[in-house]
Amino acid sequence: MKKLLSIVSLFFLTLIVAKAQSTTEEMPPLDKSPMDMSYYPNNYPLLKISEKTTDPPSARVIYGRPQRNGRKIFGELVEYGKVWRMGANEATEIEFYKDVVINGKKISRGRYTLYALVNPGTWTIILNKDTDTWGAFKYDPKNDLLRIPITVQKTTEPIETLSMIFEKNGSGFDLAIAWENNEVKLPISTK
Amino acid sequence: MKIFLLLLPCLVLVSCVDNTAQNNSKPRLKIKDTTFVQPEARSNPYAGVDVSPMDMSYFPVDYPMLKMANPDTIQPFARVIYSRPHLQGRQLFHGLLNYGEPWRLGANEATELDLFANATIQNKKIKAGRYIIYCIPQVDKWTIVLNKNIDSWGLKQDFRKDVDRFTIPVKQTSNHLEYFTMVFEKDKEGANLIMAWDNVEARLPIAFLDK
Repeated sequence: MKKLLSIVSLFFLTLIVAKAQSTTEEMPPLDKSPMDMSYYPNNYPLLKISEKTTDPPSARVIYGRPQRNGRKIFGELVEYGKVWRMGANEATEIEFYKDVVINGKKISRGRYTLYALVNPGTWTIILNKDTDTWGAFKYDPKNDLLRIPITVQKTTEPIETLSMIFEKNGSGFDLAIAWENNEVKLPISTK
Repeated sequence: MKIFLLLLPCLVLVSCVDNTAQNNSKPRLKIKDTTFVQPEARSNPYAGVDVSPMDMSYFPVDYPMLKMANPDTIQPFARVIYSRPHLQGRQLFHGLLNYGEPWRLGANEATELDLFANATIQNKKIKAGRYIIYCIPQVDKWTIVLNKNIDSWGLKQDFRKDVDRFTIPVKQTSNHLEYFTMVFEKDKEGANLIMAWDNVEARLPIAFLDK
């Protein structure tokens, strides 16, 4: 009888704990993978307020930054052959402020989402037009604008936090994406 | 019968938890700041991790998740992109912010308000588009400013690009929010943009006209 009682009370206790936890989950906590934003030109907002530029920016990317935390990333956390959201939480967003050309294809100014199909040695970067969505869970290739395979470079040092930054190149700029010991550069032409 | 008597307090307890849950979910702002961003062991050659992490809130609330659950969800009405400074033992109006001085409502980049639909704020029509938003705090009221100097850094406002100013009441709460928080809550004609930090909270009502 005592046993039954303790089992029943345990059941209710679990119920209470579960309730309390679900309450916490409803609140907007601080993201474990913080969001960040990169512009091209780099540090554009600072250039703008110090009046070092009057032109609009060319592009910006908004992405969640997962951390490695001792995990093996490519081939395990990010599985080969699957579409990866290249970020965390909300789908990674890239915005072009003017028309650009990627891999010979004209891309009109506007907001897009970015994904990557990761394989050993090559990432296929995907530009998709379905914005304001979460991760890659409802990724639909129907909305792809382009897919471009890019050879992976090895970084000289391990990168703890997923990082994205724009870099100037001959005909425009690259979006450099780096994590663990992998780096890819998506070339974006403004000509 | 004995079992029933023993179970009774359990049932009462469960219903109490239920009530607190409802009370808590109303202001939706009792945040447990337990997840701290891990500082990086070594410097990041691309982009260091910000001390005040960026965040994004949509209206409808959690829009990207709603869309994930139902791809036919209508377009969102608004979103705010802001950085989340934390108190770190400091007091809000004793050294951090000054009454009467513009505050960027965030950290780093200027806080951005994207209106995906035409809106009305305090009977003024605000066109769909991208704005930055900042605040001039006073003891009992905040002046919220929409400004067109987008893609700028939050420390210097260009007042010539102000679009409109709205004065809203600010209230003291019993919260102690470590991280500055901006979220939308659904209201009759649209949404309130809640701005809360430490023990103060202000709400900017935004009505959405067409969609």
